[in-house]
Amino acid sequence: MTLAADRWPAYPEPAPGPSGPGGPGGPATRTGPRSGTRTVWRLELAKLRGQGRVRAIAAACLVGPFVIVAGLNVQSATPGDTAFGQWVHTSGFAIPMVILGFGGQWLLPVGTAVVAGDIFSAEDHFGTWKTILTRSRSRRELFAGKFLAALTFATAAMMLLIITDLLAGLLAGTQPVAGLGGQLVPAGHATELVLVSWLSVIPPVLGFTALAIFASVASRNSVIGIGVPVVLTLAFQVATLIALPAWGQQVLLSTPFTAWHGFWEQPAYVGPFLYGLLTSAVWFTLCSAAAWLVFRRRTIGGAS
Amino acid sequence: MTETTGQVVEARGVSKWFGETTALDAVDFTVSPGVVHGLLGPNGAGKTTLLSALFGLVLPDEGTVRLFGRTRAEAGPGWLDGVAGFVETPRFYPYLSGRRNLAVLAGLDGGDAASLIDEALERAGLADARGKRVKGYSLGMRQRLGLAAAMLRRPRLLILDEPTNGIDPAGIRDLRTALRRLARDGVTVILSSHNMTQVEEICDAVTVLHQGKVAFAGRLDAMRADAPDPVWRLRTSDDAAAREQAKRTTGVKAEGRDDGGLVVFAAQDRLDDYVLTLARDGVAVRGLELDVTPLESLFFQLTGEPGDRPAGPPGRERPPVTEEPPVTEEVP
Amino acid sequence: MSLGNPRRRTAAGAAAAAAAITVGTLTASGCGSTGLTAPRLQTSLSRTFANLYVLQQTEQGNPEPSATSLDSHASCQKGGTPDITQDGSGVWLCQITYLVAGPGYPVIAKYNVDVQTDGCYAADGDGPASVNGSPTITGPHYKQLINPLSLIDGCFDTT
Repeated sequence: MTLAADRWPAYPEPAPGPSGPGGPGGPATRTGPRSGTRTVWRLELAKLRGQGRVRAIAAACLVGPFVIVAGLNVQSATPGDTAFGQWVHTSGFAIPMVILGFGGQWLLPVGTAVVAGDIFSAEDHFGTWKTILTRSRSRRELFAGKFLAALTFATAAMMLLIITDLLAGLLAGTQPVAGLGGQLVPAGHATELVLVSWLSVIPPVLGFTALAIFASVASRNSVIGIGVPVVLTLAFQVATLIALPAWGQQVLLSTPFTAWHGFWEQPAYVGPFLYGLLTSAVWFTLCSAAAWLVFRRRTIGGAS
Repeated sequence: MTETTGQVVEARGVSKWFGETTALDAVDFTVSPGVVHGLLGPNGAGKTTLLSALFGLVLPDEGTVRLFGRTRAEAGPGWLDGVAGFVETPRFYPYLSGRRNLAVLAGLDGGDAASLIDEALERAGLADARGKRVKGYSLGMRQRLGLAAAMLRRPRLLILDEPTNGIDPAGIRDLRTALRRLARDGVTVILSSHNMTQVEEICDAVTVLHQGKVAFAGRLDAMRADAPDPVWRLRTSDDAAAREQAKRTTGVKAEGRDDGGLVVFAAQDRLDDYVLTLARDGVAVRGLELDVTPLESLFFQLTGEPGDRPAGPPGRERPPVTEEPPVTEEVP
Repeated sequence: MSLGNPRRRTAAGAAAAAAAITVGTLTASGCGSTGLTAPRLQTSLSRTFANLYVLQQTEQGNPEPSATSLDSHASCQKGGTPDITQDGSGVWLCQITYLVAGPGYPVIAKYNVDVQTDGCYAADGDGPASVNGSPTITGPHYKQLINPLSLIDGCFDTT
């Protein structure tokens, strides 16, 4: 197993393409920064697709709602303590709403944290930052590409879950369902409301994605990257039990997960949803900015 | 407007400190094109930090670093175009095969790097192991994969941090030949090591770092001219007489060793005269070995190894070159 | 030439300012109060009750009354004390007065209402038995249906 030294180096001619800035004549293609990010983004998505945890989450999103519907069918008890709980046997539209109300506040943040909390710190774990940072991609492109990949996963998983939830509900029955204002909501309008309610929780999910990324970048550790959103989710649940002032409630990233209640009232109100958008946006921006600031000038490797 | 002096690497006044520790102290580092340049120093001298600064893995607190005449800010994402190599042991994704790892890296580079993968693997001698997961690679195999990954970028500047680490002597010879061929074709090579002997045989120029400062920088022949006498180990039939004779011979210094025999400090020609004189006096030479080369002794002089002998301490322990040196965990 | 620290300080300062602005905005939204007031609960409960009463009657096969003709009004007190300025989450006792057979004959339905901090509540029926006491009602063909008035889930805007 030798180095075949007698055949070095003799590079084959590079393929014709836009040349670099008249510099060293390296790789013949010098793509612009946006397509550089896109390259990293596509590579990261490919890496994600091969991950076991990603496939597991996709499978859960695909079959979960149908399993829940089947489970509800075989017994007559109804989920208590949650809005729409008592209607699950009466109308299929209640089922996606129960899933959203019951599981949304912790399942969704954990689901995105499991991927986003690892995508950066995995490189620390394998020591491969120095390998990928010494290629023709800047730190900004690598950061943006990985960030976008995490956001893409979160959004795609949400979309899949929304579709399967709605389908499972439609299969269970399209009878009108009683809204939160006591009004009877016919099937067409109920479909819209289910869709809009589910879509309304995408912003806080993206907020949790950014939080997981910040935790993993700052700690260089996947356990912390995934654990911080999980712990915060629990902390938020505890905090809602305390009588916080209105602004205190609004600042928690768990609050936007219940903003959809207003859509089902009569007359519908969107105040909590709009404030929820602001809350999610602030969390997203602060966490993303903080992650970038930590990353951009950090020392890579054990050099000391 | 970039100032181009034609140098491949130009680092000026580079300083970096980590908390209380100064890793680099106003280091000037210049590498000319087409040269094999050695970066030398004991462990902890700052070699890895300096090479990391070239790659942008470490951002200096002071000073500028120019590659091909451009600083990182001026060049943007294309700063490392034509530059390749690795710092400390190359690391890869252990759950992917060697080939897939290179495919990921080629994907990051863009262009037609992917078409070079198979050839690079062959040249690195990893054709058989290409499908195996990197998790099962030995240290030597990972070094080779690191070289293959570097060659994918068609580098004009190759930066290698202790590349002979974990490679057997035959592999080291191959590496040496390969690097010399690269230099002949105009590729600039920077090679770091703590072992002067290896560097001596392959490098044209050398920079010696000691505790973060540059102790010496220049061409190797200039260094040899400055170097003190080599150190020899001598066993004779009559050590006492040999010592007496050394006192009478100019340019030769001899001292006794604890375990018998003599340590002799002399240039080659003086030594030849000395040995002939010994024979004439009836003292037989039973063993004569070169212990420390001139450059090794200069190196130790520059880096202040313990011991007060001007030409290097006798009986110094030569750092062993083993197949699998301990791999230290990188501290984040 | 260290670029890191001044930039980092500026960015950290900007982030802190943004956080302060946001908290300020959100504070202005609530002015420190919880938004869980008796009037809001009462309005929401009476409206929801009226709609669900219509639903209950329809499911039982009775003629469908109009929600407005019920003219329902809720009066709620927290923890059962007569202090009408009570606010906040917890258990409230509510009485809903509504008209079925004309203005002269008001009916009172009682509820134990558990109000959560997000403005959603679960009202547990506490009499009369024929209205909200039983969890099920009988529909046409003796089919057992859920009594919509037995447990009322609703929400009101706290912003």
